[in-house]
Amino acid sequence: MATVEVPYQETVPLHHPKTWIGKYIFSQDHKIIAVQYGITAMAVGLVALILSEFMRIQIAFPGWELMNFFTADHYYQAITMHGMIMVIYLLTAFLLGAFGNFCVPLMCGARDMVFPFVNMLSYWVYLLSVIILMVSYFVPGGPTGAGWTLYPPQTITAGTPGFDWGIATMLISLAVFIVAFTMGGLNYITTILQARTRGLTLMRMPLTVWGIFIATFLGLIAFPALFVSAVMMLLDNFLGTSFFMPAIVSLGQPLDYSGGQPLLFQHLFWFFGHPEVYIVALPAFGVISDLISVHARKNIFGYRMMVWAIVAIGALSLIVWAHHMYVAGMHPSFGFFFATTTLIIAVPTALKVYNWILTLWRANIRITVPMLFALAFVLTFIVGGITGLFLGNVIIDIPLSDTYFVVAHFHMVMGVSPILAIFGGIYHWYPKLTGRMLNDTIGRTHFYFTFIGTYAIYFPMHYLGFIGVPRRYYETAIADFYPVAAHNLNKFITIAALIVGVSQILFIYNLVHSYFNGKKAPANPWGANSLEWCTPETPPRHGNWEDRLPTVHRWAYDFGVPGEEKDHIPQTVPRRKAS
Amino acid sequence: MTDTSLSTQESILTSTARDWSSDMTTFKGVPWGKAMMWIFLLSDTFIFTCFLVGYMVMRMTVTEAWPVASEVFALTVWGVSVPLLLIAIMTFILITSSGTMAMAVNMGYQRRKWAVFWLMLATALLGASFVGMQCFEWYKLIAEESIRPWGNPMGAPQFGSIFFMVTGFHGLHVSAGVVYLTIVAIRIVRGKYDHTNFEIVEIVGLYWHFVDLVWVFIFAFFYLW
Amino acid sequence: MATEGQQHPIKIYFLIWLLLFVFSFFSYLVDYLDLQGNLRWFLIVVFMLLKAGFIVAIFMHMKWERFALIFGILTPPLALVVLMFLMAIESDYAWSTRVVYMGEEVAKKPQPPAHHKKAEEGKDH
Repeated sequence: MATVEVPYQETVPLHHPKTWIGKYIFSQDHKIIAVQYGITAMAVGLVALILSEFMRIQIAFPGWELMNFFTADHYYQAITMHGMIMVIYLLTAFLLGAFGNFCVPLMCGARDMVFPFVNMLSYWVYLLSVIILMVSYFVPGGPTGAGWTLYPPQTITAGTPGFDWGIATMLISLAVFIVAFTMGGLNYITTILQARTRGLTLMRMPLTVWGIFIATFLGLIAFPALFVSAVMMLLDNFLGTSFFMPAIVSLGQPLDYSGGQPLLFQHLFWFFGHPEVYIVALPAFGVISDLISVHARKNIFGYRMMVWAIVAIGALSLIVWAHHMYVAGMHPSFGFFFATTTLIIAVPTALKVYNWILTLWRANIRITVPMLFALAFVLTFIVGGITGLFLGNVIIDIPLSDTYFVVAHFHMVMGVSPILAIFGGIYHWYPKLTGRMLNDTIGRTHFYFTFIGTYAIYFPMHYLGFIGVPRRYYETAIADFYPVAAHNLNKFITIAALIVGVSQILFIYNLVHSYFNGKKAPANPWGANSLEWCTPETPPRHGNWEDRLPTVHRWAYDFGVPGEEKDHIPQTVPRRKAS
Repeated sequence: MTDTSLSTQESILTSTARDWSSDMTTFKGVPWGKAMMWIFLLSDTFIFTCFLVGYMVMRMTVTEAWPVASEVFALTVWGVSVPLLLIAIMTFILITSSGTMAMAVNMGYQRRKWAVFWLMLATALLGASFVGMQCFEWYKLIAEESIRPWGNPMGAPQFGSIFFMVTGFHGLHVSAGVVYLTIVAIRIVRGKYDHTNFEIVEIVGLYWHFVDLVWVFIFAFFYLW
Repeated sequence: MATEGQQHPIKIYFLIWLLLFVFSFFSYLVDYLDLQGNLRWFLIVVFMLLKAGFIVAIFMHMKWERFALIFGILTPPLALVVLMFLMAIESDYAWSTRVVYMGEEVAKKPQPPAHHKKAEEGKDH
């Protein structure tokens, strides 16, 4: 290649739509698609939030007359839908669909994704998968009530709510989601690898992009396992094959199945399911790294270590899956293997936590709203991560299996933490996206309600787990084998959950209100360095940059460099020649 | 042949490190579409391997007898039962189509549009005939050997389940490839890609060879094993 | 974007084409000659991997790609190798539990298809 390489996007004109529909509905602009993804994910997440409130009320106040409509079947359906929506349709879709779409081209200095049309298609197929999922509330028998892990054989045997139509819509919706994710994911990866701007090497990319990059890659190689298990389960259910179904007697009748292997489903599911945890966590790690560095006015501690930690976590996450299956009856020596790999993966994860804390050490911390969420994330992630070490060990996991300890662990580590990262990211990037600042007072109020509230919910659950309260029970009041304290705690948790749920109205009000009435945002309100804050206009228009794409001269973390006039140096500022 | 390394003196390690630490593009000289197709094929590899792992688990865990492939898939020609005859013909066709596809890619980079068109059309036709033969095979298995997805008279019911699922999924890939090939072939002669280097032919080729690649594994594991 | 494309002499395609036929023929022969046991598995896998390798290396031009791409595409499937190994161990264990603990009978000899059986019976009479 004798010629000087030029960013390809500089040489091809971008297609600009003329109509309003082309600009805002069937838009190929990555920023609009990000907003579409975000709004859809939040809407469907709200449904999941309401379902969880119903479950909490049922647990705390069983037999309350107002809750009579909420039968045991409804309870199991709510559990299933809550879990699946939160993990896949909210967290994955928001962190990769919304943040991925918004951040990747802007932070890479690209005009748009490499294939904007495929990117648009990705959103519409995602919307289709959400619609199919919601349709399951209107099919005969309602949605599936098998728990979000959908373990066969109970998932497709009579007696489980929605064992025929509910599970069909769920599995089809998942398959459609995977198609949507693949279209989006291929775009993110190709953009990051092949469409960066001048001077932007991989080791100068902000950690947000690194997190999204590895998470997307994990998604592309983990979702196939879910796709395969969904196809096989659909065949088991509708064609009578016996992939996962052993010879079984249901309701006194022997079924026509024989010789299937239920554990195969669990292995395939968790071969997808464990990387999925990191598909959600890695973008959150990235966002938090950037937030902490920007708002603490200090370069991220150990940038290279952070990058390699993300890569190592991504690689290791593919060989730890069976630590979800210690009590499933798999090969006896698997426990040793998977416990070992699980404890090894804790090392790079802990590295990241140390580096966040060391970034904060003697930093010029500004307690802005995004920073509050970032700090809360680090705290929550430590709590959730440490309980993970308990559950990663076979001998400690076995008595704690299927108790509230597990519920507390995974809600802390992959429920609350990524949600805090999402909130932090929204408060951080909203000014760039809309050109207006979010209201600070409402933001702070929302933060304290959410942060303290989630601790009020999940901290007591650890204790409940230790005294043996099982999860997924419809009615715990009749169980008198655990003390009154447990019942009282359940009431306390439910009230906290209701308060947290209601307080999210503040957030939505803030988003809508500030869009119309918020303070005009300056181009770079936080004094950040990465490329998205260097766009010529705020909000950036279609195409993001002027005729020439920006040139990157440094990493994104030059804060408070000794001997410099300003406290931050954007990535586009050339380095001074050594004198 | 073009020399794709920046400098011939560099070791592979150095040039790779340089590629991964460079700006703008990581895969030097690889068009976007081709990079995307490679990553998609990687994802698709995981789908097919998960299917095949499922097959392995079925085969290793069932206690019932597993039907003997060479007898099930035998074809009787003029009163003689020849094992795997149809499969041999299908393999022949698919390999031939891979050959014509490779030629099409070559012609594409020489910008010989009509040669590309006819070669791609030939590939598509071979692919279509492959799908047709697969339909015939399925018909024979279902109607004559009474193998069903949920059971068969020879032994483990999983035999039919996994066979129809995996070959069906592969057949879907072939059918999609036929459609893809036809569309691209028509667009090429219409001049849609005249401003490019005709890398689209190579991208389609990657997909088509991948389908052939999957067949290599299916042939070995389902018909010979 | 500067793309030179993959241009190679047509001769090599014909050679690989021929080789694929030869390998397919050999693996077909393995079945035709009714080789059994380890030799059979070994030969089948070797021919399969040879064919797959040639398709990826020559037809898909992997041989001529820069190592950055080769590395990026060929390392992730290692996860699949882990999955395959662990599932093989797991299946073996599941099979032994079925036979040892649940006392399922092991069918040693597979049944030939129904009409084949009829033909053989016909021969006897």
